[in-house]
Amino acid sequence: MAKTKLLIVSLLLVGLLSTAGLAAETLTIYTAYDADQAQVYIEAFEAANPDIDVAWVRLSSGEVYTRLTAEASNPQASLWFGGSNTSHIAAAKAGLLAPYTESLAWQYIAPQFKDPEGLWIGLYVGYIGFVSNTEFLAEAGVEAPTSWQDLLKPEFTGEITIAYAFASGTAYTTLGGMLTAIGSPDPGFDADDEVYVAAFSAQVGQYNSSGSAAATMVGQGEFGVGIVFSHDIIKKAVSPGYPVVMTFPAEGTSYEIGGMALIKDGPEPELAKVFYDWAMTTEAQDLYEQFYRLPLNPEATLAEGSVKATDVNVLPIDLIWYGDNKDAMLDKWSEVTGEY
Amino acid sequence: MKLNVYRRELRGEFRRLFRDPVLLGIVSVIFTFLAIFILFPLVKILQHSLWPNGAFEPKYFMEFFQKVYYWRPLINSLIVGALVSVCGTTVAFIFAYGITRTDIPFKGAFRIVAMMPIVSPPFLIALAAILLLGNHGVITDALNLDWDIYGLPGLVLTETLAYFPIAFMILEGVLSKIDPSIEEAALDMGASKLRTFLTVTLPLSVPGIASAGLLVFIRSLEDFGNPVVIQGRFRVLTVAAYHAVTGRYNLPLGSTLAIFMLIPTLMIFVVQKYYIARRSYVTVTGKPSGIGLKTTERRIKIPIFIAMLALAGIILMVYGVVLFGSFTTLWGFDYTFTLANYAYVFKVGGQYVWDTLRIALVATPIGGLLSIIIAYLVVRKRFVGRGMMEFVSMLNFAVPGVVVGIAYILAFNNPPFQLTGTVFIIMLVFIFRRMPVGIRDGIAQLQQIDPAIEEASSSLGAGFFRTFTRVTLPLVAPAFLSGMVYMFVRCMTAISAVIFVVSAGVQLLTVALLYEVDQANYAAAAAYGYVIIGIVLTAIVLMRFVVGKLFKGGLTPLGGE
Repeated sequence: MAKTKLLIVSLLLVGLLSTAGLAAETLTIYTAYDADQAQVYIEAFEAANPDIDVAWVRLSSGEVYTRLTAEASNPQASLWFGGSNTSHIAAAKAGLLAPYTESLAWQYIAPQFKDPEGLWIGLYVGYIGFVSNTEFLAEAGVEAPTSWQDLLKPEFTGEITIAYAFASGTAYTTLGGMLTAIGSPDPGFDADDEVYVAAFSAQVGQYNSSGSAAATMVGQGEFGVGIVFSHDIIKKAVSPGYPVVMTFPAEGTSYEIGGMALIKDGPEPELAKVFYDWAMTTEAQDLYEQFYRLPLNPEATLAEGSVKATDVNVLPIDLIWYGDNKDAMLDKWSEVTGEY
Repeated sequence: MKLNVYRRELRGEFRRLFRDPVLLGIVSVIFTFLAIFILFPLVKILQHSLWPNGAFEPKYFMEFFQKVYYWRPLINSLIVGALVSVCGTTVAFIFAYGITRTDIPFKGAFRIVAMMPIVSPPFLIALAAILLLGNHGVITDALNLDWDIYGLPGLVLTETLAYFPIAFMILEGVLSKIDPSIEEAALDMGASKLRTFLTVTLPLSVPGIASAGLLVFIRSLEDFGNPVVIQGRFRVLTVAAYHAVTGRYNLPLGSTLAIFMLIPTLMIFVVQKYYIARRSYVTVTGKPSGIGLKTTERRIKIPIFIAMLALAGIILMVYGVVLFGSFTTLWGFDYTFTLANYAYVFKVGGQYVWDTLRIALVATPIGGLLSIIIAYLVVRKRFVGRGMMEFVSMLNFAVPGVVVGIAYILAFNNPPFQLTGTVFIIMLVFIFRRMPVGIRDGIAQLQQIDPAIEEASSSLGAGFFRTFTRVTLPLVAPAFLSGMVYMFVRCMTAISAVIFVVSAGVQLLTVALLYEVDQANYAAAAAYGYVIIGIVLTAIVLMRFVVGKLFKGGLTPLGGE
């Protein structure tokens, strides 16, 4: 018996002791970048700030917004790094973010890329594209889609993959594009939009939680067509060598501003500001080159082969409106698609 | 009249309880735990569904059957559950029959292969299904097939593989305990082998088959790991509830979906526990068991052997293809060997390995000890509310993980029990979710120990604690320790409940695995899966070694559900 007791006590001790050894300065971050990408940015930050340890969780931007709502009375993280800014705008409206205007970057970033009260700031810009598997196209005998209407072709039924609009910034940004391009360009659903979105949803073979997953899935040949940000298409499907082609809708495509924000009442406000300032530096924004994102710091390097505003037809989407009305739009989207 | 007798008995039980302060103390503490960590969260679910803003306003409850996208996932879950239950139990019966009733070779190897899905993390079978049978899977391409694995076919396939081992363990026990003399009698009277099987063996195993089938049904209904990967557009209830909560933070909707998940599982639990379990024809007589009639006829055993070989082949292929995938450069496209996925897992997930281990190492002994204490009280002590204690402590057996997860964030996000964001809530989920198996095994073990041994200790003057720690505990130690191994395995592989309570400060390996799956980063997900498998196998081997040194008897076989 003494042995069993010893075993239990030692197990407990090992467990408890290991709980004790925590680092002195830890900054907690929610990031909407894919984990492999977030790791690159965060490692660079830790190298530049060796006395700060970053604990981070990767969530899609809609999930970060949800998480902040859930934790409003007891915030667990201090900084929200990356993700489409419609979610940041929704969170700002819900009073979940803290203002920060003392940052040097906030002074030089153009007004359309930041919140007037400093509740969020833009990091980069991205455009939605279509990624198609060329083997699939050849087999199905169909051209890659070049318009929103093309996505409704019978050859694509069950072959399209995209993320859930509530979970992913990619998918919500896409929805904004559809609503603008189809029917009246006014924000929100009109009758044409409802018909289109329902028909589109019937084409989808699988909804994902993360926006960029569709690029990989199309590369692997699991699905024929994915709707993803062009920087993710290049990084995750084109440059690894998958047999894919990237196209854009002729009516115009949707765009995002990748955002960053301080979380209201976050546990480490000062450390969060250190990260915030660093994320806007040329050094940090140069890292976007590897991932084909378009940095908002004008001195940062632009990746060769990245998709710029001059390369695509961009729809005039009122991102502020789509951020402010995100909850209502998602309710409507659920009503129309039956997904929630 | 009857009421008076009952009242007098009750008074007597209360008096007995108050006369034994140690027992009273322990019983009160355990009831408090059960009330806070099992009942209170479930009450919270009901409250959030029916009284979302304080007032009685069952919006989603009323809408549930009106909107197809609310009730359809429930129907889908039930369809999957029924199919998986039938397929899983059939496969398990063939396996159990082959092992207990024939003299086929490689029985040990077959048993190990059949146990593999139990110790492995979620998602892996679904990942393998995509790699092998997906739209661009290895087999799909090789045979030039045109099918769609996403949705119902994928769900039935993956869940059958994942849950047939549970049915197998039950049926193996049942088949090996049927008294061979009954079958011998039938044969002696001139019945053919087939007739004996159909009229004796099969009817005797019916309660076991029903139990196994229902258990598989529950497990399928509460499965989250496979559907989240492979459901396609065939939405099941667990994933719908998960999205309602993590996607929109719609707690009233999430709670309502949770209730509709809970209704069938609780019904099955009650039917299984209080109806079928009492109809068991298998009696433990003390006669040596497991030496039932063994078929040596080739026309019977060869088809069984081939079926078992095929299934074992499929399972090995599943784990083989995932292991292979974890070493490839670009999953499904470039199969060059690389260690990069493991390097990535240890770089990004090094902290997760540590976090998961330390939580499991704390939760396991606490949960093990608590289960054995409850089992002891239920079997050995007479006190008011004993039946209630057994029922409540076993309740989580029937509560799907997703429901537990939602219930815990509802119950522990606000004072007086503000636990969200801490490691404690994760530990509590582990402890109270996995306790039923430990309690059940503890009860089974204790019932086989003659209480006279403990009575002797008491007569010699030892108190409650002394008797419990010096006599009872050593006697149940093997069951206790194997229960802890089981609990540790489940801590390392659980996902459905903890996904709701993990926070930025504490991450678990399975959750990291889910995030990689979310991003279709399948090679890294496979690497995470094999890191978990590595830890689990190390723990099992280590525990067997330690226990082998401490107790001559060694471990009882790894407990399942």
